[in-house]
Amino acid sequence: MMGEKRLPFEGVRVCDFTWFAAGPIATKVLADHGAEVIKIESMAHFDRLRFVQPVPDDKAGNLNCGGFFNDFNSSKYSMHLNLAHPKAIDIATRLIMKSDVVVENFSPRVMEKLGLTYEKFAPQRPDLIWVDQPMQGLSGPHKYYAGYGSLITPLGGLAHLTGFPNRPPVGSGTNYTDYVINCGHLFIATAAALRRRKKTGRGQHVVMSQFESAVSILETAILDYTVNGRSQTRNGNRDIQAAPHGAYRCKGERRECVYISARGPKKGTKDDRWCAIAVLTDAHWQAFCRAIGEPSWTKEPRFATLSARKENEDELDRLVEQWTIDRAPEEVMLLMQAAGVPAGVCQDGEDTLILDPHMKARGYYVYLDHPEAGRTAYDGPPFRLSETPGKLRMPAPRMGEHTDFVCKNILGMSEQEINDCIVDQVFE
Amino acid sequence: MDKAEGALSDIRVLDLADEKGVYCGKLLADLGADVIKIERPGGDPTRNRGPFFRDDPDPQKSLYWFQFNTNKRSITLNLETADGREIFKKLVETADVLLETYDPGYLDAFGLGYNDLKKINHGLVMASITPFGQTGPYSAFQGTDIIGQAMGGVMYLAGFPEDPPNRLYGSQAYHMASVQAASGILTALYAREVYGGGQHVDVSMQEAVAIAQESAMQTFDLRREIRQRTGSSGLVPAHPAMGTYPCKDGYINIFMLDWPTLLDWMESEGMIGDLREKHKETLDKLSDFLMIFGLVMNLEAYDKFLNEEFPPVEAGLKAFLMTKTKLELYEGAQTKRLQISMVSTVEDLLASPQLNALGYFVDVKHPELGETLKYPGAPYHLSDTPWRIEKRAPQIGEHNLDIYEKELGFSREKTIRLKQGGII
Repeated sequence: MMGEKRLPFEGVRVCDFTWFAAGPIATKVLADHGAEVIKIESMAHFDRLRFVQPVPDDKAGNLNCGGFFNDFNSSKYSMHLNLAHPKAIDIATRLIMKSDVVVENFSPRVMEKLGLTYEKFAPQRPDLIWVDQPMQGLSGPHKYYAGYGSLITPLGGLAHLTGFPNRPPVGSGTNYTDYVINCGHLFIATAAALRRRKKTGRGQHVVMSQFESAVSILETAILDYTVNGRSQTRNGNRDIQAAPHGAYRCKGERRECVYISARGPKKGTKDDRWCAIAVLTDAHWQAFCRAIGEPSWTKEPRFATLSARKENEDELDRLVEQWTIDRAPEEVMLLMQAAGVPAGVCQDGEDTLILDPHMKARGYYVYLDHPEAGRTAYDGPPFRLSETPGKLRMPAPRMGEHTDFVCKNILGMSEQEINDCIVDQVFE
Repeated sequence: MDKAEGALSDIRVLDLADEKGVYCGKLLADLGADVIKIERPGGDPTRNRGPFFRDDPDPQKSLYWFQFNTNKRSITLNLETADGREIFKKLVETADVLLETYDPGYLDAFGLGYNDLKKINHGLVMASITPFGQTGPYSAFQGTDIIGQAMGGVMYLAGFPEDPPNRLYGSQAYHMASVQAASGILTALYAREVYGGGQHVDVSMQEAVAIAQESAMQTFDLRREIRQRTGSSGLVPAHPAMGTYPCKDGYINIFMLDWPTLLDWMESEGMIGDLREKHKETLDKLSDFLMIFGLVMNLEAYDKFLNEEFPPVEAGLKAFLMTKTKLELYEGAQTKRLQISMVSTVEDLLASPQLNALGYFVDVKHPELGETLKYPGAPYHLSDTPWRIEKRAPQIGEHNLDIYEKELGFSREKTIRLKQGGII
């Protein structure tokens, strides 16, 4: 269709004030699909993710080598701009005037204080798309509440609904909504606004409250309450329409490994191995029984129907695990899949990155060479376009790596002006 | 007065998706796209998913269906008949997007794969959501939500280390796949404006989930260490007082980086006890962020601190928390800029002062039920082209006449014949 593969967002410039994950992953997807994303940081206000593990021991403290940050910032530029300096506000204003999209995820207090708001720019730039991604929203009694992803996931209701009923609501073990839900919603809104602008020439103001976004993915929990008065709670790994349904312990490996637990790394063997199995239909059940060699318990009436299996699920799960425990999770998965039963290894970071032959064959992870961090893995595009596929064009930027480039090539600043700014510590 | 158009009001989507893509269709429909859900005659199987309106298990009353099919239209069509496929091709000529979730190769076998359909409609964006994508050694594998969560690596990180990995509530792998598919569709639609022509969007549920492993992949890549489940300690190694704690009426989540403010708060409420006298040294350590940071890096010393010094202070904190409700702790902490949030239950969300001030929940009329139901609202707000729920989810084949007779010009006789033939 287009001959040479082009990137969809070529020519779209994004002035990116976001940090941590919920904003930067959205701008990563834009950048990996061709947008020119300029990340604004400073020595005082660098993206705090640069500071977070993992970093190799020999690069500890190097803000350019954090694997967490680097993964989420492929294909972007980094400009240092010390927004505490009045001259920096002037430069930020000039950059915004030359951008198509502005995106930020501070507390609303920050941009108000800096005077960098949609209201200020909209009259001069009716085609500008301005995207705010506050935690709470731009109004309401909790407008100025601050928080990280670790707080928004429980606040948004997912933690209460996840896990085993006899356990406290610890949630996903991650800042879940940051990584797909909130950044994905942000991307969708921004891309929709960009396309609209292409058709009408008009920009607009996009506001995504991370709290609202997080509540939007609670499936039927809200309606079940507002309609039926039922307050759903944790149900473990079970599913009302399936049995067996869960994660079953499998045989460990003798191979040595280092696990990171709540108290840091500990050496051991790779023995924390599990396989998820989902038996939804009678056909799945019959296939499952054949795949495990039809031991006598599979013929018992108490497991003959879905209703019967649901009634005897504790015992069923115990018997299934008696079979899985003697097998590696990969073996369990392959036997089940060969029989047509949905099953999959509960993969850890080594499995997804190194051992999963399918991820590897599809080339999901992309290795990029970084001048300080070396060759490291990045998450590739989360969707694959046949004609204009995304491409990780550059490794994550080093702190302020492109300040000079942006000043000269985008803002058209003279050497003299740039040098004055350096002397005034505008680019610290 | 005319209402403002939605961002996608010029876009038509044919929606053949099952649970994997049901949220994707909603995302597009709530932005104004004309999403036509193609159900099999008799109704889509997802109508059998509970819960149901007033617990009445009727396929026209599934709350799951209501939740994920707002603003969509519905026609019935049997793609496994030759007539059905011909009608489908006519519809494809009118569409901008086709969303489907069949096993790879299924539609190709009917002559309805991307390479067939692009000959009918050069601008078509076709998005396929499957458990493992269109290519690769596992592409024919079966996968439900729990399988996507397992293979994508998020399940391994959820729960306590002594328990099995936890599945996240509410089909999150399906919804992540849907979010990524909607992102891909919008990117392809943008590319169509720039370069012309449609394309195929391949979404693997496993890949859609993978980045939600947080730092697990990078931790293995850079340190050859495997991140495990840690209860609620989150990004490890954990700081003291981090994670889920019980309070008077439920649970809260703490990420405590500012002990001096917390201790002042406890003191002002008369809950400091003898901590200041008896455990001054421990409090001093906790109050010194750099010292704690250093301690966390020295695991032996940190273990000693957590096992020997920290417990009495933590006991004091726990006693303080038990005197207050979730909302009191959340609002109290936030005014002091402490990182505490509520573990919200569904009741808490409906009562949330913030969500209510934002007008988050929206009323949707269900004339057939004689009721107006309260739905979760907008995940984002677009000032010029607003997100909105205009209409409740469709009934089975509600728009057959609109599409087949008014739009495609079928005679009533033909519609009746197709109905009797089990085609629509």
